Amino acid sequence: MRDVSFLLSLAGLLLLPFGFRLANRVHPAPGMQPSYLPAIEGPRERAPFDAGPISDLARMNPGFVVIGDSMAGSRIDPAVLARLTARPVAPLLYAGSGPAWWYLVLENWVIPSGIHPRCVFIFFRDTNLTNVLFRIDARWAMDPVAHAREDDLNAVVARRRGSVFYRVRTALENVYRAPQARRWIEPAVNAWPAELMIPYHKPRAAFMQQLNDRFDLAHLRPMEAADMQATEDREADFDAFVDRSALPLMLRDARQAGLTLCFVRVQRRPVGGRTPFQSPALQRYVAKLKAYIEHNGAIFIDDTGDPAQTLDWYADGDHLSHDGRERYTELFASRLRQRLP
Amino acid sequence: MIFHSLDFLVFFALVVSVYWRLPHRAQNALLLAASYFFYGYVHPWFLILIGSSTLIDYASARGMEQWPARRRLFMAASIASNFGMLGFFKYFNFFVDNLAAALAAGGIHASLPVLRVLLPVGISFYTFQAMSYTIDVFRGELRARRSLLDVAVFISFFPHLVAGPIQRASYLLPQVEAKRRFSLKAAASGFYLMVWGFFKKLVIADNVGVIANKVFALSDPSFEILWAGVFAFAIQIYADFSAYTDIARGSSRWLGFELTENFDHPYMARTPADFWRRWNISLSTWFRDYVYIPLGGSRGSDARWAGNVLVTFLLSGLWHGASWNYVLWGLYHGVLLVLTRGRLSRRSAATGKPQPTHALLQPPAPHGRARVILQAAGMFALSLFGWLLFRETQLSAIARDLRLSPWHSSALDRRVGLYLLLLAFGYSVPLWVQSIWIEWRRRGAPLRTWPSWSAAGVRAIACGAAFAGILVLRSRTSLDFIYFQF
Repeated sequence: MRDVSFLLSLAGLLLLPFGFRLANRVHPAPGMQPSYLPAIEGPRERAPFDAGPISDLARMNPGFVVIGDSMAGSRIDPAVLARLTARPVAPLLYAGSGPAWWYLVLENWVIPSGIHPRCVFIFFRDTNLTNVLFRIDARWAMDPVAHAREDDLNAVVARRRGSVFYRVRTALENVYRAPQARRWIEPAVNAWPAELMIPYHKPRAAFMQQLNDRFDLAHLRPMEAADMQATEDREADFDAFVDRSALPLMLRDARQAGLTLCFVRVQRRPVGGRTPFQSPALQRYVAKLKAYIEHNGAIFIDDTGDPAQTLDWYADGDHLSHDGRERYTELFASRLRQRLP
Repeated sequence: MIFHSLDFLVFFALVVSVYWRLPHRAQNALLLAASYFFYGYVHPWFLILIGSSTLIDYASARGMEQWPARRRLFMAASIASNFGMLGFFKYFNFFVDNLAAALAAGGIHASLPVLRVLLPVGISFYTFQAMSYTIDVFRGELRARRSLLDVAVFISFFPHLVAGPIQRASYLLPQVEAKRRFSLKAAASGFYLMVWGFFKKLVIADNVGVIANKVFALSDPSFEILWAGVFAFAIQIYADFSAYTDIARGSSRWLGFELTENFDHPYMARTPADFWRRWNISLSTWFRDYVYIPLGGSRGSDARWAGNVLVTFLLSGLWHGASWNYVLWGLYHGVLLVLTRGRLSRRSAATGKPQPTHALLQPPAPHGRARVILQAAGMFALSLFGWLLFRETQLSAIARDLRLSPWHSSALDRRVGLYLLLLAFGYSVPLWVQSIWIEWRRRGAPLRTWPSWSAAGVRAIACGAAFAGILVLRSRTSLDFIYFQF
C-alpha cells in the first residue's frame, strides 16, 4: 500500500495541474503573444512597441544622447548639459532598467531615428554591461522598446542562461498551460481583499491606484543599503560573459549606424571617505572591459577613483543628490572636450 | 547552491542516484564531495573556512582524548578558532563601527579599517554544529572520532549546511558512521516534506515577503500599514525558515538520514517558553545546553536565573546578526521569559503548590479551549512586537515605529493596512490550517480513522495542489532564504 501511496502522490503532483487546461477554457486569456525572449518565458500579454520616441529623436536631432537607469538620471541634468555644451541632449532613461533595455533603446529608437549625435552615452555600474540578465525582469520597461522578435537579444539571453533550466521550466509550464492560468489566477488572488473591502469596480480601481501611489518613490526610505549591493566577483569574469551579453550587439549596431558610443562607469558610493573597494577580480574585469570597448571603436570613461566625486555628492546608495547632479553635469561637460575625439 | 533552483534538483538527483550504488565508506566520501561542491558552488573560497574549521575541531577532539591533561588547551584552541572565524567575518565591522562611534562621541574621529568581504553563508550554523562536537568530547559525553571523513561529513552535510537545523554530534555522527539502507517509507515522507517546503518558500514566504519588503521600505508608514507589514514578516520568516528545514529534512531522508525537527507550529504557542520550545528548536536547545545550563541554568536565586536567561537570549539575538536590533530582539524575548517565570513564582507562592522545576523551555499546562485560543493570540501579538525589532535594522526606525499611533492615520492608510493584512493572511491560510489542525489533534480531538486508500488520495491531491500552486502563484520576486544571512 505504501508503494501505491507514494506513486499515487507522484501521479497527483504531475496530473492535477493539467486541470489548468480545463480551467483556462472557462477563463480564456486573450492577448497572449509569443515573447520576444522565448529563451526565458512563454507567451504572455505584452504592452505594444512605442514608436513615438523615434520621431521625437528625429525632430530633436540631439547633439548628445544619454541612455541608462537612475545612475544616469541622478548624474546628468539634460538641461544643464545642453546649456553648457550648446547642443540638445536627449535623455533616454528608465529607473531600474538594465543592459537589455539599453540595447533595445539603441537598436529600436536611436538608430531608426537616423540621428547622428556627437556621442551616445551609456551609463552603467561595475559589471552591468556584461550581465544581460541584470533587471531583464522589468518587462513593463522592456515591452515599449521591443519588437515582436528580438532574435539577437534572445540568442544572447539563451546563451547566458545556459538555458536548460529555463527550457525545462518553460516546457513544463506550457504542458500545463500554467502561464495562461497564472494570468487570471494571480490577479484574482491579489484582488480578493480589495473586492471584499470595496464591492464596486470604480472605487476599487481608484483604491488600487492609490495603493500603488502609496508605495511610489516619494514614500520610500533612502536606499543606502538596498542600492549598495556589492558586485560579486563571480560576475567579474569578463571573458566568460562578454559573448553572452548585449555589449557586442551595442558595439556592432553602433558601428554599422556610424554612431559614437561612450560607456560611462559611474563611481559607486565612497565608503569611509574612500573610493569603494575594488577587488582584484573587479580590477582585472574593468581593465579588460576598457580594452574591449576601445578596441571596438567606442569610448570608455571610468569615474571610479575620481577625487572630485566625494561622498557629499551622494544622496542614497549610488545615487547623487540634487546638488551632486548639478556638479557632476558641470564636471562632465567640462571634461567632454578631452574625452571625445 | 540554493534549494529552489534546477541546479539543486539536478545535483540532488545525481547524488541520490549514485549514492545508493556505493558501499558505506564510499557513500560518506560522496557526501563530503557533494557537500563541498554544494557549499563552494558560488564562492569556492568558503571551502577554506569550513575545511579549516573541520581540521581544527577534528584535531582538537583527538588531542583531548589522547592528552586528557591538556584537554582545556585543546578546547580553548577549538573555541578560539571557531569563534575567531565567526567573530572576524560576522562581527568585525560591527565592533569597528561601534568603536568608531564611541570614539567620535569622545571627540576622536578615527578612520578605522573596514572588512570588505562577504559573510560566508551558513558560518553561524556550521560553527555551532562543529562546536557541539568538541564540547561534547571535552565533557566526556562523546568519544573523539578517528575518521576525519566522518567528522567532515557531520560538519558539512549539505542538506542542512547553510541554514540548519543545527545537529548535535551525538545525534548525527552515529548516523554518519552507521550503514544506511534505502527506505521507501522514509523517501516518500521526505518527498512530501520537500513538496510542502517548496510550496511554503515559493508561494507563501516569497509572496508575503514582497509585502513586508514594501512596507519596510516606506519612509512614512502609518500604524496600520506598519503592523500589516510586521504580520507579513512574521509569516514570511516562519514560512521561509521552516521551508528550508522541511527541504533539508526531506532531502536527508532520501540519503538515509533523519534530522531533528526545527519548528513545531510556533504561532500556536501560548507562552514565551512555549514559543521557544517550538521556534528554531535546534538553536534554542543549543543555547540551553551550551550557554544557559553552564551559566547555572535555574539553579540559584531568581535574580541569578533571570540573569542567565537574559545573557542566553542576548547571545542568541547576537547570533542572528551583528546589529543592535537583534540584541534588542533577543533581550525582549529574554524579558518575556523572565516576566512569565515571575508570574509563575508569585502564583506558586500564593497557592503554596510548588511549580515544576523551572526548565528554560517548560511547556504550558493544559487549559480550556477559549483560554488556549486567547493565550495563543496573545503570544502571537507579543511575537509580532519581537519581529518588528528583528526586521527594523535601524534603532532610529524602531523608535519612529513605536511612536506611530492609529489615531493619526489617514482613511487611505487604514484601508491600505487592511488590504495588506488580508492579502498576507490569504497567502498564509495553508500555514494556519496546518498548525490549527495539528494542535487540534494534539488536544485529543476525536478523529475518524481514515482508510489508508483515503489518506493516500488526500496526499495525492495535496501534492498536486502544492505543485499547481507553485506553477501559478510562485512569487515573481525570488527572495533568498532569510536565514542565509545569519
